[in-house]
Amino acid sequence: MSAENGSLKVTVWRGDGATGAFETHEVPRQESQTVLDVVSWIQQYADPTLTYRFACRVGMCGSCAMMVNGVPRWTCRTHVGKVATGDSLTVEPLRNLPVIKDLAADMDPFFDKWVKAEAVHHPSETRHDPIRPVDTETEARQQADVGIECINCAVCYAACDTVAGNPDYLGPAALQRAWTLYNDEREANPEAILDAVSGVGGCHNCHSMGSCTQYCPNELNPLAAIAGLKRETTKRVFRRRRND
Amino acid sequence: MTTQIDTHDTDILILGTGGAGLFAALHAQQSAPEGTKITIAVKGLIGKCGCTRMVQGGYNVALGGGDTVERHFMDTVMGGKWLPNQDMAWRLCKEAVTRIHELENEVGCFFDRNRDGTLHQKAFAGQTADRTVHKGDLTGIEIISRLMEQVLSRPVEKLQEHRAIGLIPTRDGSALAGVLMIDMRTGRFRLVRAKTVLMGTGGGPTMYKYHTPSGDKTMDGLAMALRAGLPLRDMEMVQFHPTGLLAGDHTRMTGTVLEEGLRGAGGQLLNGSDHRFMFDYDAKGERATRDVVSRGIYAEMRKSNTTVNGGVYISMSHLGPEFVAEKFKGMVKRCADCGFDLAGGKVEVVPTAHYFMGGVVVDVDTRTAMEGLYVAGEDAGGAHGSNRLGGNGVANSTVYGGIAGDTMGADIRTMGALREPDPEVLEAEVARAMQPFSKKPDLIQPLRDRLQEVMWDDVGVMRMADKIVRGQAQVASIRDDLMEVGVSDDTRAFNLTWHDWLNMASLCDISEVIAGAALARENSRGAHYREDFPEEGDLETSYFTVARQVDGALEVGREDVDFSIVRPGESILPEGEPDTLVAAQ
Repeated sequence: MSAENGSLKVTVWRGDGATGAFETHEVPRQESQTVLDVVSWIQQYADPTLTYRFACRVGMCGSCAMMVNGVPRWTCRTHVGKVATGDSLTVEPLRNLPVIKDLAADMDPFFDKWVKAEAVHHPSETRHDPIRPVDTETEARQQADVGIECINCAVCYAACDTVAGNPDYLGPAALQRAWTLYNDEREANPEAILDAVSGVGGCHNCHSMGSCTQYCPNELNPLAAIAGLKRETTKRVFRRRRND
Repeated sequence: MTTQIDTHDTDILILGTGGAGLFAALHAQQSAPEGTKITIAVKGLIGKCGCTRMVQGGYNVALGGGDTVERHFMDTVMGGKWLPNQDMAWRLCKEAVTRIHELENEVGCFFDRNRDGTLHQKAFAGQTADRTVHKGDLTGIEIISRLMEQVLSRPVEKLQEHRAIGLIPTRDGSALAGVLMIDMRTGRFRLVRAKTVLMGTGGGPTMYKYHTPSGDKTMDGLAMALRAGLPLRDMEMVQFHPTGLLAGDHTRMTGTVLEEGLRGAGGQLLNGSDHRFMFDYDAKGERATRDVVSRGIYAEMRKSNTTVNGGVYISMSHLGPEFVAEKFKGMVKRCADCGFDLAGGKVEVVPTAHYFMGGVVVDVDTRTAMEGLYVAGEDAGGAHGSNRLGGNGVANSTVYGGIAGDTMGADIRTMGALREPDPEVLEAEVARAMQPFSKKPDLIQPLRDRLQEVMWDDVGVMRMADKIVRGQAQVASIRDDLMEVGVSDDTRAFNLTWHDWLNMASLCDISEVIAGAALARENSRGAHYREDFPEEGDLETSYFTVARQVDGALEVGREDVDFSIVRPGESILPEGEPDTLVAAQ
């Protein structure tokens, strides 16, 4: 290991959500080094009991997000040089989720809300039907396209102060997915989606603070998607009143 | 510490949540009798670990426009150098058509379109038609995220962060009774009994110094199958991708794929002295097939014509940095996040172990030699033979995952009660997993590094009998050392170091099989290259290797390829069909 690069002072959370403490390790610094590499080094060489989670290593799976110096990030794609304050780094489990152990958060509540937001395609056709031509230039399709590359890493969910204050709030990722589906012309039940996002914990809880959009590592814009849902659900209320 | 085993019963158990596992869950739900309990278990989080998600290129499927299932089949068989099980390759190509309709119409995937709104298809290397359906260069994310939503919203029992460690047969060995797992979060053993089990844990050759698969992939499925005595075929067939990122031994970024398209678009490979070397090896230069380019780079590395970290460079800047940044947005951003300038500078690359063609011997319905056990996806051998075409991987896992779901849903109707597990096998598997707790704790990573060096040097891109034999001895010695390395028993809950130890045990087992099969194949086919047997050998008498563990010892044999649909040199395309429908580049 190249000692000439110096070392990092890395503070990591140990314990579960309720009890625990920070621990500090000295980690050799390298030229090409991500936060995930640092966490891995601690487990492999300094403290074999440290728990964290990762899978793909390249920003495709969304398993390795943690709080790095207080900011939610994909640790696999975060270069140490870009985030270390001087020679120190603090790594904590993702905010707004229960902690299983150390740096591994329980993502179940995040996915439970994904399901609760009706964020699943309701088919209008079957495998026996031809694939429908889709005009990619329509306004709706373009609205759907901008959010489609979400990898459900929960960085936006961890960044969101509304989630922090309101445990029922569905959160930016699930709502953005709902908006994407709502705009998909193949979707059989857009009304079910609007129902799901307009109830308790729905899109109208959003205070438009925009942390989701600010921190999304994929540069997506959940804030705009939620605004879209707010607009459509509100329009529907007026529409229904007119029809009463 | 006494060992308690929790027991858990279900009807259909699925191991893995890649393309195979998730499709199996959906199809099992559609085909099994009402009231059937379906459980899906995964080493990480649902849909997040595994490799289908990491598919960049896309999904091969013949959808007309001149392309046919016959043409897709011929490309698959020729790409596999006449080693594929032809019935499996045929079923793959045929059912890919249904599966892509299912993905688009029922699962809700959205794939890229042409201007007229129809699906866009492109041609990967080795294909004779524009066949690959895709979503930009992140096709796997779209497929897995959509499948994940469908499974999450259905009444399927989920066991996350549960790793399977042993297939437990009945006392007479005739059928599978259940699967022993570790609930990683609590560290407790859990025996899950099921009438049918799909193993779709994915292969993933991560025993090589440079490798692409996700970190959770450690050949656990194949190691379990080996211990259960099942036959494994084509185990010498490890596909190397020519351009893995090289950023030093200490970073997990090293080995991850820089996409194929970079070479296709005109990317140049330069050695340490900036010489563009690929034309020294092949007239197609950087556009030669994956195996040829991997060997070219490897040859430069052996001559020490290398970069700082011991690889070569890929250079794109002559195409114009803005053009590169626009066309390969995701790749350029990924490199930039990691500190490299792909658009304007040179990035170090190295061949990297990517996909494993070998796997459990199965029939076209995913059944195995053991009643109750089904295998699909990268854990199953046969469909690709000696090489997999880009775009056939995700087609394979989704097609056969769906078939497995249908088959289990049908078979379960004639199955009675759950089977009783063999207590001796169960005890042996628990003891195997507990082994490190009885030894003095020590570092495991140095052993992983050693294994990866040995496999890379001696059983890697270019192979030779004496080196393979040396490699076998090294792997055996690493395994012996592993058995002496302990893990602290302070807490078993989410103890990653215990799992590192178990990962190493699986990797050692399968490394031994890869080496044995590589020694048994005395010719060079597809991904397997023997410097002492550089010719492909007689096609008419093509054989595939079959490895199995008998009384604790590895036996590797050869079986003749059954040309059940087409013989070497012949074609099933109609007379007068052009060789390729793809315009020359």
